[in-house]
Amino acid sequence: MRSSRWLRIVLMAAVSAVLAGCTAASPSGSGASGAGDDAEHASLTYWYWAESDAPGANDWMKGRIAEYQGKHPGVTINLVPQATDTLIGAFTTAAQSKSGPDIATQWATLPVLSQVWGGAVAPISDYVPDSERKNWIGTQENTYQGKVWGMPIYLIGIPLAYNKSLLARAGVTAPPTTFAELLSACAALRRVGVTPIGGGNKDGYFGAWFFSNFGKQNLDAVGDLQQAVIGTTDIKDPRVTGFYEPLHQLHANKCFNDDIASLSLDDGMSKFAGGQAAMAWGTDGIVAKWAKTLGADAIGVVKTPTWGTGKLASVYNTTQSSTAFITSWSAHKKAAAQFLAWLHDPANLTSWYAATGIFPADTRFDQATISSDLGRSLWELTSSPGSVWLENYLPPAVDGDGDLAAGQVITSGGSVADAVAAFAKATQKWRGQNPAEVKNYTTWSGR
Amino acid sequence: MSSTQVRVRPVAGPRVSGRTAGRHRAWWPYLFVLPAVAALGFGFVLPLLTVLRNSLYAGSVYQLEWVGLHNFSALFADDTFRTALANNLRLLLTVPLMTVLALLVAVVLNDGVRGWRVYRTVTFLPYILPAVGIGVSFSVFLQLNGGLNASLRAAGLGALARDWLGSPHWAIWSVAGVVVWQQLGFGVVLFLAALLSLPGEVTEAARVDGARWWTLQTRIHLPQIRGTIEFFVVTEAITVLSWVFAYVYVLTAGGPAHSSTVMEFYIWENGFAHGNVGLASAAAVVVLALAAILIAVYLRVRVRAANERAA
Repeated sequence: MRSSRWLRIVLMAAVSAVLAGCTAASPSGSGASGAGDDAEHASLTYWYWAESDAPGANDWMKGRIAEYQGKHPGVTINLVPQATDTLIGAFTTAAQSKSGPDIATQWATLPVLSQVWGGAVAPISDYVPDSERKNWIGTQENTYQGKVWGMPIYLIGIPLAYNKSLLARAGVTAPPTTFAELLSACAALRRVGVTPIGGGNKDGYFGAWFFSNFGKQNLDAVGDLQQAVIGTTDIKDPRVTGFYEPLHQLHANKCFNDDIASLSLDDGMSKFAGGQAAMAWGTDGIVAKWAKTLGADAIGVVKTPTWGTGKLASVYNTTQSSTAFITSWSAHKKAAAQFLAWLHDPANLTSWYAATGIFPADTRFDQATISSDLGRSLWELTSSPGSVWLENYLPPAVDGDGDLAAGQVITSGGSVADAVAAFAKATQKWRGQNPAEVKNYTTWSGR
Repeated sequence: MSSTQVRVRPVAGPRVSGRTAGRHRAWWPYLFVLPAVAALGFGFVLPLLTVLRNSLYAGSVYQLEWVGLHNFSALFADDTFRTALANNLRLLLTVPLMTVLALLVAVVLNDGVRGWRVYRTVTFLPYILPAVGIGVSFSVFLQLNGGLNASLRAAGLGALARDWLGSPHWAIWSVAGVVVWQQLGFGVVLFLAALLSLPGEVTEAARVDGARWWTLQTRIHLPQIRGTIEFFVVTEAITVLSWVFAYVYVLTAGGPAHSSTVMEFYIWENGFAHGNVGLASAAAVVVLALAAILIAVYLRVRVRAANERAA
């Protein structure tokens, strides 16, 4: 009798423990360090993503880790590169069980903050002093409730790169700076048999970039988008989603390669590197890579042509893109913070730029190391004041479900109305499915 | 009392009543099976219960909120899920196609054509290739300017060229085509093995009675491998219902604009990429229900066939 009761108690305890583990984790956002948190003695796991933005990033990070481990023999760092497609999902799964990396990477702003709201992130501002952080560029992208939650490593912008000789062949004497000029350049390039703009949208990322490039152009502030996302204004308002019209116009006027819908973003952009397309949007790092193939002198870069009339129409797109942060469950937060801060050592900033051609997100970056005109043009754009990367302000679910899909509607031959409807449906679905995140988003956006 | 009768005195020990002793004895078998039951419980029952429970909540894994059956109504109001469901049904159309094609190939190979073993291997080869590798290869082959369309254009059939993966009208059929290409070998090998194991006497007797090739196949051979065919049909139906994620993920990622999404992909996308755990769980419950129906049909068919054989 007694044994059966004990068995029942043990089984119930086991089941309860497992069920408790399966229930929703309460957001803690704990920044507390464990008793054994020693900056000089730790084994860290770092889930890292940057290579897609910055070719050469993985090798650079491996080199930095090797050097850091040499200088700090008590610290080992296990680098685990992450895939683009599963960057959010893999971390969210790990966060559910509060296990996995000590340092992780997410894209800036909403992808980071949604993990903050879930209690998976420790504020890096609790571990890195102001005197160091004041040099970091772009911390406002991950600031919430007065704390900085992640560390920027680099800055990227998305210029429109153009092939000087192909434009010249079509009689286009200056790169397009307005949307009308862009359409005109497309027509001229078509006439001489050159694909005007190389792109690929099978994965939806070309459309997402288009959102960042054109979606802000009728907005006066990012708050205009935030209000529409939470539903206080109409997401179908042309000020917010009217940017699908220029995408449709470019597609209808055959400004893109004909196979844009069946190529990935990378494959589509590679047409520019291969000299098959006269223009392409690419990150600073990708442009730097193209310069190695085509020659830095053969390429020029301009800001995305102006289409809209909002206050954000003329500002550039810059973001830290990926953010490194310390997980709330890490037992080695001090060690993680010390390593991350060390990545901003001036020597590391220089080596980062040399390895990737992308600018470090730090005011201590020595601009004198920029040796080419192309590099200086990119720096001028990327460091221009007031830059906004609009995609950062979309909840990840809306970005994935709406932003990416809506762009695909257009590039696979659909209408503007269908694209807008897809975007609107995604925001509505997000509001219905994520009540807690909606509350946090609303608070964060100051509405 | 005979001399052979020996009175045995009970050994001294703790007094145990008959009821209690029976109860102790009854526990031992359960203890032996406990590890297996626990493994099943943790591996199958607990996840199942968790999914059922989560289907009644909304929100991310961090903050779930009770919504009752709302997720199920939201699910069927979501045109992406309806598209996914419809696409799974479209993929079900590949099952009869695969079955007929596999039977045709198997029957021909069973006739002992020269080099049939080579053909069998070649047909089976796609089945042992990893789905991701197949997906990557076909995602290049099926591009608008990929190998398939280049071949069509070279053959003067350019009018048939399509944007196989980039068109919302063709994407799911392209996935279906790849699934057929990959799964066909399984059917061929399965059917061929069944045909080769048939007793030769029946075939000989039918031939002696004047049965021709068609009659031999349709009246003698196929009825004898009916159980194998049923097994294949149900297995493939379950496969296209709940095992095509890798193809969709690699070939189209459910696009363009969700047009080639399937229920599995919908579950993954909502549960892992978008944080809609409740909606994903509700979709998983629907898939589970559909798979259970198919399995029930299969079991019923098997029982009926067994009864017929016994009769």
